[in-house]
Amino acid sequence: MVNALSCFLKKKVTEDLMVPDEDVERTGRELKQQIDAVFGRSLAIRELDTGSDNATEIEVNNLSNPYYDAERFGITFVASPRHADVLLVTGAVTHNMAIAAKKTYDAMPSPKYVVAVGDDACDGGIFKGTYAVLGGVDKVFPVDLKIPGNPPTPAAILTGLLALMNKAGKKA
Amino acid sequence: MTHQQTQPGDTKTAAILAELLGSGTFAARITAGQNGEFYLAVTEEEFTPAIESLAARKCVLIGLFCVQDFSPRSRFSLLYVFEKKSSILILIRDCAGTATSIARIFPSANWFERECRDGFGIEFSGAFDKRRLFLHETYPEQFHPLTNETPNRPVTPKKQVAPEEEYPFRTVHGEGVYQIPVGPVHAGIIEPGHFRFSVIGETIFNLEVRMFYKHRGIEKLAQGKTPQECVAVAEAISGDESVAHAVALCIATEKISGISIPPRALYLRTILLELERMYSHLGDQAGMLVDVAFPLGANQFSVLREDLMRMNAILTGSRFLRGVVTQGGLTKDIRKQDLQVLLDFIQKFTRRYQVGLKIVLSTTSLLDRFTTTGRIPKELLRPLNITGPAGRASGGKVDIRISHPYGIYDTVVPVPRRLHDGDVLARFTVKAAEVLDSARMIEQLITGLPEGPVHTDQPVRDGYALSVVESARGQDLCWLWVRNGMIERYKVRTASFCNWQAIEHAVIGEILPDFPVINKSLNLSYAGTDL
Repeated sequence: MVNALSCFLKKKVTEDLMVPDEDVERTGRELKQQIDAVFGRSLAIRELDTGSDNATEIEVNNLSNPYYDAERFGITFVASPRHADVLLVTGAVTHNMAIAAKKTYDAMPSPKYVVAVGDDACDGGIFKGTYAVLGGVDKVFPVDLKIPGNPPTPAAILTGLLALMNKAGKKA
Repeated sequence: MTHQQTQPGDTKTAAILAELLGSGTFAARITAGQNGEFYLAVTEEEFTPAIESLAARKCVLIGLFCVQDFSPRSRFSLLYVFEKKSSILILIRDCAGTATSIARIFPSANWFERECRDGFGIEFSGAFDKRRLFLHETYPEQFHPLTNETPNRPVTPKKQVAPEEEYPFRTVHGEGVYQIPVGPVHAGIIEPGHFRFSVIGETIFNLEVRMFYKHRGIEKLAQGKTPQECVAVAEAISGDESVAHAVALCIATEKISGISIPPRALYLRTILLELERMYSHLGDQAGMLVDVAFPLGANQFSVLREDLMRMNAILTGSRFLRGVVTQGGLTKDIRKQDLQVLLDFIQKFTRRYQVGLKIVLSTTSLLDRFTTTGRIPKELLRPLNITGPAGRASGGKVDIRISHPYGIYDTVVPVPRRLHDGDVLARFTVKAAEVLDSARMIEQLITGLPEGPVHTDQPVRDGYALSVVESARGQDLCWLWVRNGMIERYKVRTASFCNWQAIEHAVIGEILPDFPVINKSLNLSYAGTDL
């Protein structure tokens, strides 16, 4: 057990915040400005895996680790498509996921945006034209932005979201 | 079909295996494979007594798959892979389209047989479960993608599924029992799968897992490719097992072709395998802590994981260590200065990791959540072939790096880590020990790293071989058959495929809110199961 008294006497264990990625910070700040302007402070994202190899999920999850901490830029990952502004789709769409994917999309309120993350989601990748997949996400519902990569890095996903916000801002 | 020259040691092993089969007469017919495995073709009359004998002698069915046009005697061959300590025996059984089920004797055969049924249309008589497995309801009837006659072309799925065609889940009856369907789309950033809970109040009475939503046709995709081209497919099986699957495939190719790769490549491959184990374990340790709402501890591990993934990018240009492992060695060398950076990092890593561990293991409220939660009894390990940290936390012994050393694991031997409680805490602790071991091994490997080339360019020969590797999740099987320089069959069986069935038992009697942490502690890959 940690002794409560020793906590007062010892030096604080909190480490200084490093700024390890200037690029991520810059993208994040811009993204925050755009989200504030276009979506009124918060962008709700629902992640949907339609058949990825789980590497993309890992990178999307990494956006929440202390290095990126994407929530400070106004991004929240929400539990239900009904709460979401953006559907972040990973993986080629498999036959087994097609119905569930469509239901998820239909459950989102409009206006809604769809972002395909990773090569497989963009056009089916190495699975294109095989028996098990329909192809990229755009085979099932309209896609607003594609972020290529195998998988794209967290920084690339942030940059993609910034591009989406710029696009949405122009439309509005 | 090529066979290795029979060695004196092989004859001895063949005799031991014949003993397991219950008849000494088999010894002369058992042939040695290319990678230390043994093959025996059995007739239908010999099959059942052989299976019963193997079951009585506590062998584990670690794989069962179908191959077309493998035997001159019949259209299909069923290959049953059995393991007993460090011996692997593959029974080859001819099959024209129907076969008797062995799922009542070896429960792990249940999913395997259903997989063969979907893929090749083989009917197993006497099976207790004949539902579809990886082909869901939207696939047309009589569609069996893995047969040679079926081209790998888009199929037209059903747009709608009538209620009576929906997957029949096991139903549990009783006063106050109700069902909770979860998935395939989950609330978090997780892969898709369906969980059907039958609960009484909060207590889980039964769980049925339905997987294969992500079935992408990996095995079919590999057919007709060269083993070299297939490495990218192997890396796409499961993102955080990229190195393990690429290495398994390359070992199989190299064994078939008689390629021995340069020592430096062996060392570097092992460094990559251990790095993968570390970042994978760190991810689920962080996840387990998130699932019991302990972000202070979770962030210790997620920061280290991000550091490791950045380290991966420095070493190989890929955060998932992709595109490096290739047949004959590695695609590129790792620079000396980068290895020095890794060595410095690993030394600091161990200290930082121990700080995180101390925080976790000294928090009593957390230990209270972890202890006795999600127990996997030891009796389940053999029937379901549960391996990896999940098996070792329940008193299991299987670690492929020790029982079937590949690469240089015969010289750089890992320490066996075993606990007996089989709960979430045991799995957490086993993983913690393995992370520290991996760090130590990487240090050792960098210090002893030989100079020289990292690749040898030699042609691929025809043949078949089984290779088994220990990924972060456990035993990964890969059976490769090359004919005319092209892949005829690439069978993958990941650790997750078997371990998924353990969770149905681990959650019984637990409360529903503990399900996420139990799931995370088993660290099951959906993509790796669904293929």
